[in-house]
Amino acid sequence: MNPAALLETAALMGLLVLAGGGYGGLYGAGRLWSRPALVRAGQACWLLAFAIALLIAVRTPLDVGWKLLILASALVYAVIPPATWRFLQRLHGDEESRP
Amino acid sequence: MSVDTMPAAEPLYRSQRLALRYFTAAIALFGVMIVFGLLSAAYYLFPSMLFNTLNFNTSKIMHIDVLVIWLLMAFVGAVYWYLPKELGREMAGIRAAEITFWVFCVAVALVAATFLLVQYGSASEFTLWFINQGRKYVEAPRWAAIGIVAILLVFSWNVVGTCVKARRMTGIMWVMVLDLIPLVVVYLDAFPADTNMSTDLYWWWWLVHMWVESTWEVLIGCIMALVLMDVMGTSRRIVEAWLYIEVMLVLGAGILGLGHHYFWIGTPQYWLAIGGFFSALEPLPLLGMVVHAVYDAGMHRLKTNNQPAFYWITAEALGNFIGAGIWGFMMTLPQINLFSHGTQWTVSHGHFAFYGAYVCGVIAVMYVARQRVTGVPMLAGRTWRWGFGLLNLGMVGMVMALLLAGMAQAFYGRAIGGSTLMAFTTASENLWFKSGMYARMLFGVVFAAGYVALVYDLLRSPRRAPAIAAAPEPA
Ligand code: HEM
Ligand code: HEM
Repeated sequence: MNPAALLETAALMGLLVLAGGGYGGLYGAGRLWSRPALVRAGQACWLLAFAIALLIAVRTPLDVGWKLLILASALVYAVIPPATWRFLQRLHGDEESRP
Repeated sequence: MSVDTMPAAEPLYRSQRLALRYFTAAIALFGVMIVFGLLSAAYYLFPSMLFNTLNFNTSKIMHIDVLVIWLLMAFVGAVYWYLPKELGREMAGIRAAEITFWVFCVAVALVAATFLLVQYGSASEFTLWFINQGRKYVEAPRWAAIGIVAILLVFSWNVVGTCVKARRMTGIMWVMVLDLIPLVVVYLDAFPADTNMSTDLYWWWWLVHMWVESTWEVLIGCIMALVLMDVMGTSRRIVEAWLYIEVMLVLGAGILGLGHHYFWIGTPQYWLAIGGFFSALEPLPLLGMVVHAVYDAGMHRLKTNNQPAFYWITAEALGNFIGAGIWGFMMTLPQINLFSHGTQWTVSHGHFAFYGAYVCGVIAVMYVARQRVTGVPMLAGRTWRWGFGLLNLGMVGMVMALLLAGMAQAFYGRAIGGSTLMAFTTASENLWFKSGMYARMLFGVVFAAGYVALVYDLLRSPRRAPAIAAAPEPA
């Protein structure tokens, strides 16, 4: 790995998770306050995360196995916030409907 | 509400009084840790400072060993605080626990005195037993390590014994009891003196990694579950269901994430793949926690009667995600870690992750205790914000400065310079690195100011704000 690629790859890795976190945070806030614009901003963050994963796959000198792992985890990011949200809502719903 | 009409603070269980002692000791040691953090940082600016009187390594040992001890004390305090509430009775073995508290304090003082006054010994059994075991984070001599095992055993007996005597077991308590087994067992790793450096490091990482990325994560998860019920009124079913999932995911990725410490210590090559793979999975559960934090914060925002605890819980969720998730992920693949390993980049992650995952959480519990002790129905006001703001600003400033300094080391010293001694020196002279060291010192002082504000706020007698209509009740 050449010196420039080192910093670029590490920065992209950090930004990938940051964008994933942005997705989680904004999606959650949007659902909480019923603000579709925030949910959409969250989804845009996920698109950004995926774009970063693609960039990592195309531009960085990581081995192909790592690139696939990163692309796969970016795909998993897509489902975590909605799945977590639904799960929490179901728990709360169950709780409220209890006698 | 006037002070006169305030409900009187309910009497505390003995174990809760003991918890307060643990919190006091923990917060005092937090201060000691900061003093030695600042001192260690000063060596980077004035390398020959205190030469041959108190060297950098001794100061750093004090800084990081005290970190481990004060966090342990705070965890023990948090568990002692909640145990009677959770199980509805006084803690089993309270007398033994009270005695061990003083034994713990005396042992810590003796070890600190040895580190500061004796500092190091010859390569002999005597040194291992009485001066320093030489393993980072757990340098305490063997006699003290045995003492810590004894303390952890008493602690385990307190927890298990109370469950048995109360004839009651909650989901949170099951998780905690099961977690105690690895928590104690991996500590036994701190004893053997293996002369092979690779095997020694191999087992030492079992302790350090399994504590900070597995067993402590589970323990703080249990503590946070109790705090969430207490402060936000979240229902038991919700916190428990969430705790089970979190524990599964954290352990699933965290245990073999151990491999990211095995890249360069002489272990077989397959650890490169195992370490990289599992630690790349580690941010996934943390992302779920961010969503959970937003959900809880939003759902209960208006119902909390303890603002500082609420904010510190939120900081914990975000700090854990950023410090462990983002900072860890950046350098966790072997191809990057080859260059970043052991630079200030690692130090940056170490600070952020420890602070986010643990420090914020235990401060939240201290505010819970403060509210209960003072009997104030609504803990709000402005003073706590100073501690919150300065500590967070100081930490974020420090880790950004360290990140830039560490990247400069990896870039100039490793990737360009090829890791030679000359390259190391050149990188240490680099402007990015040097500015990073100055900025770290500056933000370290901000952090220390935040600590002073925190202690002031925890100790001062509160102005009593009006209570909200209904204090949260766990459903
Ligand atoms: C005023 C605040 C602080 C200052 C100035 C400071 C400074 C330092 C310094 C100079 C080192 C030695 C790094 C090296 O070997 O080059 C260090 C190590 C460390 N500190 Fe701090 N620290 C502070 C607060 C904290 C806090 C609050 C935590 C935990 C929450 C912490 C955790 C650690 C850890 C884990 C290490 C070992 C990191 C490693 O070697 O990779 N420090 N600190
Ligand atoms: C609560 C969670 C965590 C804490 C408290 C923590 C703390 C630390 C500390 C203190 C170190 C420095 C160890 C030393 O050499 O002295 C370290 C190293 C490391 N951590 Fe973490 N960490 C956490 C989570 C993570 C996660 C989730 C990842 C990956 C995604 C990660 C990746 C790494 C890596 C790769 C290193 C080795 C750095 C090097 O080679 O120098 N950590 N961690």
